[in-house]
Amino acid sequence: MTAPALELRQVSKSFAKRGGGPGALLAVDRVNLVLPRNKVVALVGESGSGKTTTGLLALRLLATTGGQILLDGTDITNLGPKEMKPHRKQMQVVFQDSYASLDPMMTLGEIIAEPLGIHAIGTPAERRDQARRWLEKVGLDASYATRYPHELSGGQRQRISVARALILGASVLVADEPTSALDVSVKAQIVNLLQDLQADIGLSMLFISHDLSVVRSLADEVVVMLRGRVVEHAPTDRIFAEAKHPYTRALLDAVPVVDPKARRRRTFLTADEIAARTPRVSAADCERPPLSDTADPQLVALAGSHFVEAIVTG
Amino acid sequence: MLNFIIRRTLSMLVTFVVVSVVIFLMMHSITGGPFDGNEMPLPDNIRARLMAQLGLDQPLYVQYLKYMWGVLHFDFGVPYQSPGETVMGLVAHAWVPSLILGGSGLIIGAPIGILLGMTAALNRNSWIDYVASAIATLGLTIPVFVISTLLILVFAVWLQWLPASGWGEPKRWVLPILAYAAVPMASYARYARSAVLDTLNKPFVTVLRAKGLSERKIIFQHVLRNSAIPMVTIFLPMFVGIATGSIFVEEMFRVPGLGAYFVSSIDKRDYPLEMALMLMITMLFCISYLVSDILYALLNPRIRIDGSAR
Amino acid sequence: MTEISSAGVALATPDQPKQHSPLWYAWRRFTANKAAVGGGIVLVILILMAIFAPLIVTSGPNDQAFLTQSLAFPSPQHWFGVDDLGRDFFARIVYGAQVSLGIGFSAAVCSLLIGLPLGAMAGYLGGRFDWIIMRIVELFSVVPPLLAALLLASVTRGGLWAIVLIAALFGWKDVCILVRAQVKAFREKEFIMAAQALGASPWHIIFRHLIPNAVSPIIVGFVLAIPLAMMLEASLSFLGIGVQPPTPSWGQMINVGMNFMFFYWHMAAFPTLALAITILSASLLGDGLRDAFDPTLKGR
Repeated sequence: MTAPALELRQVSKSFAKRGGGPGALLAVDRVNLVLPRNKVVALVGESGSGKTTTGLLALRLLATTGGQILLDGTDITNLGPKEMKPHRKQMQVVFQDSYASLDPMMTLGEIIAEPLGIHAIGTPAERRDQARRWLEKVGLDASYATRYPHELSGGQRQRISVARALILGASVLVADEPTSALDVSVKAQIVNLLQDLQADIGLSMLFISHDLSVVRSLADEVVVMLRGRVVEHAPTDRIFAEAKHPYTRALLDAVPVVDPKARRRRTFLTADEIAARTPRVSAADCERPPLSDTADPQLVALAGSHFVEAIVTG
Repeated sequence: MLNFIIRRTLSMLVTFVVVSVVIFLMMHSITGGPFDGNEMPLPDNIRARLMAQLGLDQPLYVQYLKYMWGVLHFDFGVPYQSPGETVMGLVAHAWVPSLILGGSGLIIGAPIGILLGMTAALNRNSWIDYVASAIATLGLTIPVFVISTLLILVFAVWLQWLPASGWGEPKRWVLPILAYAAVPMASYARYARSAVLDTLNKPFVTVLRAKGLSERKIIFQHVLRNSAIPMVTIFLPMFVGIATGSIFVEEMFRVPGLGAYFVSSIDKRDYPLEMALMLMITMLFCISYLVSDILYALLNPRIRIDGSAR
Repeated sequence: MTEISSAGVALATPDQPKQHSPLWYAWRRFTANKAAVGGGIVLVILILMAIFAPLIVTSGPNDQAFLTQSLAFPSPQHWFGVDDLGRDFFARIVYGAQVSLGIGFSAAVCSLLIGLPLGAMAGYLGGRFDWIIMRIVELFSVVPPLLAALLLASVTRGGLWAIVLIAALFGWKDVCILVRAQVKAFREKEFIMAAQALGASPWHIIFRHLIPNAVSPIIVGFVLAIPLAMMLEASLSFLGIGVQPPTPSWGQMINVGMNFMFFYWHMAAFPTLALAITILSASLLGDGLRDAFDPTLKGR
């Protein structure tokens, strides 16, 4: 069996308090995540849930304080900058803020060609051509190569970010809320672009978002994070049809519905209420035996690759 | 908060010690002691004896430690140029003219500057603003000795209104005080202008106006208080900046203050006096920066509560 | 690989006219500031005067050709009169521009050479390195520059390059602080993170991304360093430890002029005005550039 494109095992990140002092902020708490080849896994949660931090940890842009990161089966958790460099060709990122993602002093052609320069691939002329080809691949005319980021719209800038990310032939793309800052119509364009590219060059995507409507159309699997922990993960249709965890339910309820007659009251739960409603699951219902027999909430396997954080009873 | 104060103080102390070492080393690297420049070359053995007497023949770090120990007791040695008194004694009477003239310059210049800045801000982009800003820029960019020259040229030579030099009767003080006042006035005019403009643009002023408060009340009761913070914190360093200016003002107006002695000490290679003055001024700078840092932290609630100056 | 275009949208062609870059807006702000533009023009004139000095004046600055007319007042033959040693004063003032401006620019360049890399590294690397640099900057802030310059100058006996280096020694910290602030502001931006994700080395990031984006503080820092250096040089020369005679320096000439001031006013007036005007124009230009690049800095 081939290794998953990206795997996070018990990855944790804690931040020390500013100015010293006891107690650290555990932003990411023993997160396990598997990104299979050519699939899209969506990582959802509210602001502060730790999903962006998880993405940065996977990219090795932040150092972990625990756990392992495996890229295509290789443990890259503790590699130094030199050893890490070749692996970086395989895993790239697209950020939410399209304007801040591009160097305002570089032309679009230079921006897209920069990765080739960093890895010393091809002659300058070849790099320029490659950059031009990728400009067209993401739907922009090649004459844009001499323009600057501030001349583009948000959606166009995101296309540039995508081109830059994929020009090295990356097989894993971490997209951190790439559509959150865009207009609704442009959102769809970018999502379509990503899907087309995925089909074309074979891409595995970790799609971080708080927007469940986008997730529904794009992702194969959904991972839900709350306060640094994974509380539920399952294939997309199972999540939308049979979410078990109260937090997931609350997120789903919050998605606006177009049909006025179909609207329902939303529930707003506080953190304590969510904790109080931790689902209880009997050991018999579990697909696999639970990992430990504590009374604390833990991730248990239900039917159909559906995992929920629950308290095991009986 | 206390943590912050302690950290800053320690940091300043370290800085001061480093600076004192550097100054000390520099002084001793000036080739030639007090006996080498001049007219009567001393025979070697007498020179050796005098050097021993003044402690100049011992290894450098010993000299440094002995010296700093003395400094802690306010003993800076004896000036070569007037061995009849101690350095401290000389400083004690030399600082009086400097303080009177420099202090008056600051005390006169600051309020005028503040008023100038406020007026400019309240009438922004009118001719008043341009003139006031021009005056402020002039005060800051023209070196103090140029200002002094101009003052002398205009008031003493052409108009013949005031005497150009000396130190004795008050009327001789006018020109030097004006020369000292230029920089504080210009500095404060700038700060006041930008502080008042910043505050005027804040939403809470719009609210006050909407409530119907008169413009004058807004200015004096609210705007001024909010603009005061930066102005308070720069007061002390400015005071010490006067010390630097005194070198020129005292030279040009023939005032026997600290600045004049500093220049002559360099001229005459008078180590004790040079060291003492440099150290004292540096110490004053250190203390005033420290105090203004702390003051700023105290007045700025963000730093006070957060506990760090980041 | 097949050509892919986004569903439903044809290849986007650039139909909008080229938009204005931030630099264009900065230029507009700058030209609106009449004082700054005026300062810039005057400065350029002075620079040209200094460069083409031999073409403008007929006699050299040190030629004591007019001893019989020493201390003569301004006249059509000698626009600024003659000084006490029989030299044409206009020539001395113009050549003095060479000295003052030359020292000012050289010192500014040196300040930049020291301050720019240190500031960029301090801003990007942060941590221990930043702390050390900031402590050094603090050291230089606490020492009164003029007094220290006096000491240094007397140690090195003055001389042209000594003055340039001393001025650079006290000018670099302003450039460093400006660059550091800008680099820190940009460091957290996503395009830097993207470059890191690409595997770029810190050097690549600093030189290819951070420094080009620091152009405005670099220019402002450079231009503002010039009048500071000139003031320092003039002050030192005034006190006799700067540029040594017979090389003309305005500070030195003011010192001499003071002795003759009461009757031969031209001896003091012209160097004073020359110095004041030069420093003023350079300062106005520097301030104007700073406001143009970042209008949020001053309360305008």
